[in-house]
Amino acid sequence: MTAALANPVMRRLLRVPPAYYVFAALLMVLWIARPNMLNLNIMGIFVRQIVPLGILVLGQLLVMRVRSIDLSGGGVILLINYTISSGVFPGASMAFFIVLALAIGLAVGFFNGLMVGVRRVSAVIVTLAVGIVLVGVVQYLSSGKPPGDVPGMFADIYNTKLGPAPTPVIFWVVVSAALSLFLSRTVFGRYVTSVGENVQAAHFSGVPVARTVVLAHTLAGLFAGIAALVQTASIAVGSVRVGLDLPILAVAATILGGVVFGRGEGGVWGPFFGVLSFALLFVVMTTFGVDEPGKLIAQGLIILLAAIFYGIRTRSS
Amino acid sequence: MWILPLLIALAIALWLSLKTAQFLNGENLLNLVPQAMPLVITAVGQMFVVLLGGLDLSVGSMISFTTAVLALGGPAWVLIPAVFVLAALVGFTNGFIITRFNVHPIIATLSMQYILLGITRVLRPVSGGTVPDVVIRAVAGSFLGIPMPVFWGIFTLAVAWKLLYGSRFGLHLFAIGGGVSSGVEDAAHNFGIADRRNVVLAYVICACFAALAGIFLAGRIVSGDPNVGLLFELDAITAVAIGGTQLSGGIGSLHGTVIGALVMALLANGMNLTNVSPFIQTTIKGAILLLVVALQSRKKMGL
Repeated sequence: MTAALANPVMRRLLRVPPAYYVFAALLMVLWIARPNMLNLNIMGIFVRQIVPLGILVLGQLLVMRVRSIDLSGGGVILLINYTISSGVFPGASMAFFIVLALAIGLAVGFFNGLMVGVRRVSAVIVTLAVGIVLVGVVQYLSSGKPPGDVPGMFADIYNTKLGPAPTPVIFWVVVSAALSLFLSRTVFGRYVTSVGENVQAAHFSGVPVARTVVLAHTLAGLFAGIAALVQTASIAVGSVRVGLDLPILAVAATILGGVVFGRGEGGVWGPFFGVLSFALLFVVMTTFGVDEPGKLIAQGLIILLAAIFYGIRTRSS
Repeated sequence: MWILPLLIALAIALWLSLKTAQFLNGENLLNLVPQAMPLVITAVGQMFVVLLGGLDLSVGSMISFTTAVLALGGPAWVLIPAVFVLAALVGFTNGFIITRFNVHPIIATLSMQYILLGITRVLRPVSGGTVPDVVIRAVAGSFLGIPMPVFWGIFTLAVAWKLLYGSRFGLHLFAIGGGVSSGVEDAAHNFGIADRRNVVLAYVICACFAALAGIFLAGRIVSGDPNVGLLFELDAITAVAIGGTQLSGGIGSLHGTVIGALVMALLANGMNLTNVSPFIQTTIKGAILLLVVALQSRKKMGL
């Protein structure tokens, strides 16, 4: 195996994030098994469902590039969904809800950032605990019962189309492109790369490591807030279970897209295709009649195989 | 490190005995031991990997999986060894992936958590089935007038004590963890310790203790339940952290971990006695975890 890994062609192929291979493979499977599903309308609906995950992944890839992780996204999404759908703010305008959601996201992200970057607490534990605290708060406020409806304007915007593509999908592509540009063109983007490469070297080169980590987490919180808005619009009702498995899926899609702790070769588009792979995977599994447990197992295996794939590469290089 | 949690435990107990009449009730005190036992067993197992600077997030699923396997129906002398063989296999897989493929423990055990949960839900979509009689009697009965759970506790502590303080493996565990926490991952390796083998062994031990806790729980609920272990890994990690074990590895003790688990159990008992809403209990536990890890200072930033 070592000889095969040393082969230059093989090395070149290994550098491509696994997301692209998985995406192509799943497309082939679908093309062979259900060719009639591969049209723009049906695919548009499936991709539209995955947009909240897609936006959450943007934050996840940011924190994973600075060697951290954010598992609190599920709690943030649940809390925002609850505040919008429970009618705590009767008759509030759409703008108010958007500002509120972004503020909640920013606040949670900033707290995570302070804990991880300044206080140097274990990122997994902190973000997991923050997520649990938020979920518990929502369950307490709602006593486990689903809250009311989401104001109609959310669904109205969600259901529009720009040309052939649904608006949420366009929005996702635009936000991803913006983040991609932001990371490649700004000083902060350089800081993220250097902290990921080597924390100590970055510190001694004058990179404000703690500040970079705090900012990355704050931005991740912001993305979680945006994801919560899209998710809330997509289901149009309040729920006490919405978004709980999203953080894990976000980690999986990010690793699949070639961004592992500290390494960001996949850029923004690798994880983007990681998310698309998950969209296709759920379509394929549903068409083949795989049920809930099967999906759990598949999720776990994908995270594991993608991580092993990167583990092997670290060793061979 | 363990005196403070002991004082906290005593303070909670004192507060509860003043606040509610039921706490000092004989029945409640008798219930406390079996209530605490699964967490004590799981936390002791978790401590082995935490000492290495690792983490096992798959123990919750392992517990559910164990109850599901025991409720499959079949003779006890097949099911119980099978549970431990499967647990050892799961632990070995975790350790193997972490050491050989260089995968971060959190990612490896997180995916294992999902895979095991999926398999558990295939075996037993909703709770049900019956576990072997031996298991039920081993948990509910008493021997020489002493309730059986006490013997489970003694057994767990004896095995863990021997592994941690009475064997070369335990010594190596502290050595490897100490290296990891001070940023020199291969320090122990350079002194000739077979670090990979010991790491794999620690994950096997952790999974086996989780399986033991699963057997105990199966005996208590008398059936298989795919959700009984949900979020158990967090309680276990909280207990380990309260007990003074550093999550970055190298520092920790068995008695600290046991006290930590007792603090969590007393807290759960107290919240139930004082009618705290089960929903807010989750929040309180999460906040405690947050607080405990925030109090631990670390040299390095990281997962």
